[in-house]
Amino acid sequence: MKSTTIFFKIISVLLFILVFTGCEKFLEIEPQGELTKENFPTTPSDALLATNACYTTLRDWHYHSGGYPILDIMSDDASKGSNPNDQASTIGPYDVFGHTPTQDGLDRWWNQLYVGIKRANVVIEKVKDIPFDESLKTRYIAEARFIRGLMYFDMVRAWGGVPIVESTDPPLKLERSSVEETYNFLIEDLNFAANNLPLRSGYSAINMGRATKGAAQSLLARVYLFRGDFVNAEMYAMEVINSGQYGLEPVYTDANGVNGNNGIESVFEIGAIQSEGSSSGGNQYANTQGVRGTPNRGWGFNRPTFDLRNSFEAGDPRLKGTIIDLGDEIDGIVINGDGSTPDETYDEEGNLIEVECYNRKVWVPGENTITQWGHHRRLIRYADVLLMAAEALNENNKPNDALVYVNMVRERAREGNEDILPDITTTDKEELRNLIYAERRHELAMEGIRFWDLVRTGRAPAVLGDLGFIQGRHELMPVPQTEIDISQGSLTQNPN
Amino acid sequence: MQKKIYQKFRKILFRSILNTLFILAFVVSVMAQERTINGAVTTSDTKETLPGASIVIKGTTIGTITDINGNYSLKVAEGQDTLVFSYVGYETQEVDIKGRNLVNVELQIAKVSLEEVVVIGYGTVRKSDLTGSVSSIKADDITKITAVNPMQSLQGRISGVQITSPSGTPGESPIVRVRGVGTFNNSNPIYVVDGVILDDISFLNAADIASMEVLKDASATAIYGSRGANGVIMVTTKSGQAAEGKTQFTFTGEYGMQRLAKKIDLLNGKEFATIANEIKPGSYNNTDLVPNTDWQDLIFDVAPVQNYQLSASGASKSMQYYVGVGYFNQKGIIDKSSYERITIKLNNIYNLTSFLKLGNNITISPFSQQFAPDVTWAAYRAQPVLEPYYPDGSFGVVYNVGNPLASLAYSNNFRKGTRGVGNIYADLNLVKGLTLKSSFGVDASYIKAKNFTPAFTIYNPDGSASQQENVLSDLTKASSDYLSWLWENTLTYDKVFGKNSINAVAGYTMQKTTAEEIRVQGANIIRDGENFWYINPNYIYDPNSNVNTISSISNSVNPGQYYSIISYLFRVNYVFANKYILTGTFRSDGSSKFSEENRYSYFPSFAIGWNISEEAFMKDIDFINKLKLRASWGKVGNEKIDYYARYSRVQSDILAVFGNDIPNSAASYGIYGNPDLRWEVTTQTDVGVELGTLNNRLTAELDYYHKNTDDILVQLSIPGYFGNGQGAKVWYNAAEILNRGFEFNIGWRDQVGQVKYGVRILGSTIHNEVLEIGGNSGIDSVLVGGYLNNGIPVTRSEIGLPVGAFYGYQTDGIFQTQQELDAYPHASDAGVGDLRFVDVNGDGKLNGLDRTYIGSPIPTFIFGFNIDLEYKGFDLSLNIQGQTGNKIFNAKEVVRPDPYNFERHVMDRWTGPGTSDTEPRASFGGYNYNPSDKFIYDGSFVRIRNIILGYTLPQNWSNKIYMQKFRVYVKVDNLYTFTKFTGYTPEIGSGDVLSNGIDSGIYPVTSVYSFGVNLNF
Repeated sequence: MKSTTIFFKIISVLLFILVFTGCEKFLEIEPQGELTKENFPTTPSDALLATNACYTTLRDWHYHSGGYPILDIMSDDASKGSNPNDQASTIGPYDVFGHTPTQDGLDRWWNQLYVGIKRANVVIEKVKDIPFDESLKTRYIAEARFIRGLMYFDMVRAWGGVPIVESTDPPLKLERSSVEETYNFLIEDLNFAANNLPLRSGYSAINMGRATKGAAQSLLARVYLFRGDFVNAEMYAMEVINSGQYGLEPVYTDANGVNGNNGIESVFEIGAIQSEGSSSGGNQYANTQGVRGTPNRGWGFNRPTFDLRNSFEAGDPRLKGTIIDLGDEIDGIVINGDGSTPDETYDEEGNLIEVECYNRKVWVPGENTITQWGHHRRLIRYADVLLMAAEALNENNKPNDALVYVNMVRERAREGNEDILPDITTTDKEELRNLIYAERRHELAMEGIRFWDLVRTGRAPAVLGDLGFIQGRHELMPVPQTEIDISQGSLTQNPN
Repeated sequence: MQKKIYQKFRKILFRSILNTLFILAFVVSVMAQERTINGAVTTSDTKETLPGASIVIKGTTIGTITDINGNYSLKVAEGQDTLVFSYVGYETQEVDIKGRNLVNVELQIAKVSLEEVVVIGYGTVRKSDLTGSVSSIKADDITKITAVNPMQSLQGRISGVQITSPSGTPGESPIVRVRGVGTFNNSNPIYVVDGVILDDISFLNAADIASMEVLKDASATAIYGSRGANGVIMVTTKSGQAAEGKTQFTFTGEYGMQRLAKKIDLLNGKEFATIANEIKPGSYNNTDLVPNTDWQDLIFDVAPVQNYQLSASGASKSMQYYVGVGYFNQKGIIDKSSYERITIKLNNIYNLTSFLKLGNNITISPFSQQFAPDVTWAAYRAQPVLEPYYPDGSFGVVYNVGNPLASLAYSNNFRKGTRGVGNIYADLNLVKGLTLKSSFGVDASYIKAKNFTPAFTIYNPDGSASQQENVLSDLTKASSDYLSWLWENTLTYDKVFGKNSINAVAGYTMQKTTAEEIRVQGANIIRDGENFWYINPNYIYDPNSNVNTISSISNSVNPGQYYSIISYLFRVNYVFANKYILTGTFRSDGSSKFSEENRYSYFPSFAIGWNISEEAFMKDIDFINKLKLRASWGKVGNEKIDYYARYSRVQSDILAVFGNDIPNSAASYGIYGNPDLRWEVTTQTDVGVELGTLNNRLTAELDYYHKNTDDILVQLSIPGYFGNGQGAKVWYNAAEILNRGFEFNIGWRDQVGQVKYGVRILGSTIHNEVLEIGGNSGIDSVLVGGYLNNGIPVTRSEIGLPVGAFYGYQTDGIFQTQQELDAYPHASDAGVGDLRFVDVNGDGKLNGLDRTYIGSPIPTFIFGFNIDLEYKGFDLSLNIQGQTGNKIFNAKEVVRPDPYNFERHVMDRWTGPGTSDTEPRASFGGYNYNPSDKFIYDGSFVRIRNIILGYTLPQNWSNKIYMQKFRVYVKVDNLYTFTKFTGYTPEIGSGDVLSNGIDSGIYPVTSVYSFGVNLNF
C-alpha cells in the first residue's frame, strides 16, 4: 500500500473517532419564541404582566360560581331562568338543592379558583427575586395576595377547608386543610394586602380596578362577618368608611351600571370591555343573565322570584333597579323578551309562580350581546361596607352608630323621594338586626351575596328549607367528584 | 436508412469507448511486453452472447467490456495470467490465460441472484442470513398503481401492513400502519430513503425506486432505535448497474381517466319532499312538482391523471449513474383540486480509487397543488328540492349547508413548493472486509400557500342575503420552510473464516431538524385578481374606517419538527455453516425532545435463525428446498411527540382590564408540562418460519408477532389545585397497548407450456387491545376521542378494548306502540316509532351512562391476493385486497342540526306499528341521531385494486424500431369494491388513532382507467 493511501486512511479513521465525541450542547434546544416557567417572570415588565394575569382570572366565566349564577339561584332571590328546558338537568337542581358532586359547574368553579391561586403564586413566589423598585414590587405582591385571599375566601365559603397551595410547584398529593387553617392563610394574605396596597386615590385613572387598601379591608370585614367576629368586622369596615375614599352613587342603578364604573361606590370591581369573548376583554357573567329574545342580550338565567319582588317595601325604587320586566323601557330600549320562554308560569293548582323577568343589575345599555359583555361586575360595593359596618356595630351593641350607616343606604335608595323608605330608628338589637338583614337583601339582591348571608346568619334552614335546604349539608357545596377521583383518595368529600 | 444511421451512431459510440479503453490500456502497458487476448462471452444456459460483460486483468484496474456481439479484445502484459469475467446476474469467473490468445467464456447464472438480497438498516443481508421479519417489494410492482405516493403500491402486497387511502384528494398520502396501531399518538412508520430518515415519501417518483422493504419486527427495526416502533420502510432508489456498458434509456408514459367509483344513494327531490311532508305536513304542496337536483352529479366529474418518466442509466469503470425525470399531473374529480409534480432524480457512484468510492442520491421535487373546499359533505346534505341556479344564472341558496357549486366557484386555495432530499457519501475500504462510510443527507422543503376568497353573497329568493356570503374579500398567505440534516458514520466489517461468517456494523449519527412558518391574513383586498394576492398594507384596508385590515400575523416554529438527535448503533450478524444465525442489535438515541435526565434511551434486540434445510438430515428430503426458523426479541421506541409537551409554557393570550376599559397585557403560567416525559417503548417478539418446496415453486412465510407498547404518552387529568383549569390535561407516559397476530405470505410460481404464472396470497391478523391507560397518574381509565362536528365524541378507548373503539347506544328495535314505549326505560325525548336504546347498566333509567362499546375501527384480518400471468408477449396482473372485522361510524348521517337530505334507507322507515323494526320514523334531527349502533356499518370489503393487461412486442420487432423493449398496457385501479358500507369508500382512516373509521364526509377515492407505454432503448 502506498504511504499516501495509508495516511489518508488513518486520517479518516481519526476523523471518525473524533465525531464520536460530539458535544451535549447539540441536544439542548430551548423552546423557540415561547416563554416558559424557566424564564418567566424575570424582568420588571414580566412582573407587571404576571400581576395583571391575576385579575384576568376574575373575568373568566368559570370564576363566577362555575359560570351560572348558582349562588343567587340557590337563594330565595332567584330561580334558574331562561326557558324551562334550558340547562334544566344541569343547573335546575341547584334551585331545589338537588345538586350532587357531579353537578355541572362545580368542577369549573373549583378549578378556576385554583387558576387564580396559581397566577397569584407566580407573583408571590417569583417577583421578589426580580431586581426593581421595591415599593412597586411590594404593591405587585400585595395585589397578588389580595387576589389569592379572595380566591381562598370563595373556596372556604363554598367547600370549607381546601388544599392550600402556596407554591407554583405543588406536590402531586395534597390533603384538605382545616377550615381554621384556610381562614388563617387567607386572612394573612388580606392583611398583607391591606398593609401594603395604596388607597383608591393612590392609583392613576388608568389603573382603577386594581386592588386597593380599601378593597382588602372591606374583604376582611366580609371575612370576619362570615366568621361571626363582629369586633374585627367593625374595625375593618370602619377603617374603610373613615378613609374617606368612598361614597354612594346618587342614582341606585349607577351602583352597578356603566355610569358608576370605577366610581365612588366601587370598592372592588372586575373591569371588562364591550367585546364578545373573554380573550378580547369581555365578561360573560352578564351575558349569561342578559335579556333573552328582544333585545338579544344573552341567555336569561337567574330570574328574580316573586318572593324577592314582594319583599321590597312599598315604593322602593330598588325593585325596578333589580328586576327587568317585559315591556320595561331602559335607556330607550323596550324589553320584549323571549318567544320560547313562557311569559307566565303557573303551578299545578293554577297559581302564578313565575313571570319572565331579568336581572337589572347586569344591564349594560345596548341591543346586542356584544355590549352586554362589557358589564363591570362589582365584587364589593361601598353600600355593602356600610351595611356590614351597621350589622357589626349593632352586634357590638352600638345601635346608634349602626343606624347612621344603614340609613345612609336607605337615603340613597330614596333618591330624594321623602315619601318612601323612612329612616330606621329602632335601637332594639334583635329588631335592628332583622331590619339590617332586610336592607341587605334589598340593596344587594342578585349580586351573589344573599345565599352566603343566609348561611352565615343561620337563617338558611328556615328561609330555604322549603326549597330543599337541609341544615348541616347544604351550607357547603360538594367537592367536585372529578377532583375526588383524580386525587385517588387524598381529598375527602363534604358531609352529604 | 434510419437503421444505418443508428448503426453508425452505435459504432461511433463503441469505437470511442473502445479507443478510450485502448489508450488507457496502452498507457498502462507501455512498460511491459504485451499480447492481445480475443474472445467472446456467452451465457451458459441459452448460449446467447453477452454484450457489456466486464473483463478485468486480475489484480489491476485494467480491463474492457464486450461489444454488441459479445466479443472482446484485451492487451495483457507478461505475467498477467488471469482474467476476471463478470456480468450482472452471473457468476464472476476467473480464467487462466497462460499461453492462450483466444479465450471464450460461458458465464453461469449467479446463484446469488436466486438468493434474494434484502436491504436492512445500515446494510444489506442475504435473505437466508436474515433473522428479522422483513418484506420486500420490487420495482415492477411499485409502479403498478397510478398514485403520487409510492406507498399506495404496497396495499395488498405486503403482509402486516395496512395501507389506507381515505381520500381521493389529488396528492394525498395514504395512512400506513405496520402491525396494528401501537400508540395513541403518531403511529406512522419512518421512511429511510437511501439512508436518509424521513417522515414521508410523497416526493418520490415510484419509477425511480428499485425496491422497498418493510422492517416489521424488533430485530429489523431496533437499529432505528427510538424511531422504529411503528415500523420502518426502507426505500432504495435505482442506480446505474456496474459494468452495464451502454446507456440504458427507459420511457414510461401513462394517461388515465378518474371517475367517482361509487355514488352515495340519496333521496331524489320527490322522495325527499314526501319524507319532509311526513315530518312537517304541508312542507311541499305537490311532491310531483318539486325540483330534483342531484348534487353529487354536479360536483363530480371525470378527470385525467398523467404520469411520464424518462430515465437514463449506465456505468463506466469509474462511475455508475442513474438520471430520471418524471412528471405527474392529477386533476381532481372535484373542480379546483389538482396536484402536479416534477421529480428529478440523480444517483451517481464515483469509484475514485480502488479503496474509495463517492456517491450521491439526490431527488428534487417541485410540486403545485390546489385544494377544493369540502363540498362533498355539502352535496351529501343539500336538499334535492333546491335548484343550483336561479333563472338569471346566479347561484341559488342552499339552506343550512351552502351551495357547493358557489363554494367551489369562489375558492382559490393553492399550495406549492419544492422538496429536495439527498445525500452524498464516501465509502472507504480500510483493509479487506472493513469499510468506513460517512454519509451526509439533507431533507429540505419550502412551501408557499395562498388562499383567496372574493367578496360574494348568495341571495335568498326574497332578495335578502343568505348565510353563505363573504362580506369582505380575504387573503391568507403562508410560507414555511423545513430543513433536516443527517450525518451518519458507520464502520462495517465483513469476514468469512472457515464456516464462520461475520457481518458487523457500528455507527454514530447526528441529526437536526428545524421548521418554521410565517402566516399573514388580510381582508378587503383592493382587487380580486391573482395579481393582487399579496399583503400590501396600502391595498388592504377597511373602506369604512380606513384602517388597515391585516387581521393576523404569526410566525412560529413547528413544535413537532424542531429537534436534534445523536445516536450510537451497533449490530452483529454471525452465521455458522449457513445453518445457524445470530443477530444482536443495539442503538442508543439521545434526543433534545426530552429533558436531561431522560435524554438517552437504549434499544437492544436479539434474534436467532436456523436454516434447517441446510442440515445433513434434510438433504434427502427432496421436496423441501428451503426451511428456516427464526425468532427475535427486542425493544424499539417512538419519539414522535411535540417537544413542547415537557415545558410549562407561559400563557399570554390573556388581558386584564383597568381604568376606562383599557386592555392591559397579562401573562402567567399556562398548563403545566411534564419534564419527566420519556419515549414510548415497544417490546416485540416475533417467530417466523420460511418454507420453499416443490422446487421452490411453492414458497411460504409465516410469522407470529407479539408487540407490546408501554409508556405510551397520554394526556391525563391532574388535581385542580395545580391551577391548570378545568379539563386541562398533562402528558404522561402511562398507557400500554398490545398488538399481536399472524402474518402469512404464500406464493406459487410455475410454467405450463408457454404460460408462466404466479399466485400469491397474503394476510395478517391483528388483535389490538388497550392494556392500561392512566396507570397511577390520574383518574383516566378511558380516553375519549372521535369528536364529531357537533362536539359529541364517539370513541372511547378503555382497558380491554381496541384503540379508538366506537362508543354509543345499543339499539334494540323500535318502539312500536305507546305501551311498548311506556314499558321500557327511555329518554324523555323518545317517542313511538323511535329507536329503542338498551338500558345497558340496567338501572331502569336511560341516560348517557348506557352508552357502550359498539364496534372496533381496527380490522382483525387484512388480506391481499395477486395473480400474474405471462403468455408470449402478453402479461396480465390482478391485485385484490381487503379487510374484515372492522366497523365504520357513518358520522355524515349523525350530525344533523338542520333539515338535510337522507340516505336511501330512510324510505324503509317506520310509519306505524309493525312497519319496521330497524329504521325509525323519519325526522330531521334529534333523538334518533344520538350516536348509536344504527350508524355503525360493517367495514369489511374486498376490492379489485388493480388489473393490468400488457403486451410486449417480440424482441426482433422492437429491435426494428431500435427498441430493446416496447410494451403497451391498459389498466384499471379500484375497479370495484364489494362492501356493505353506503359511503364512497369503506377505507376510512385517520391520522388520529382516536378518530379512526369515522366517515365525516370525504373526498371520494376514484376508479382510474389508464393506458400506457414502456420503452427501453
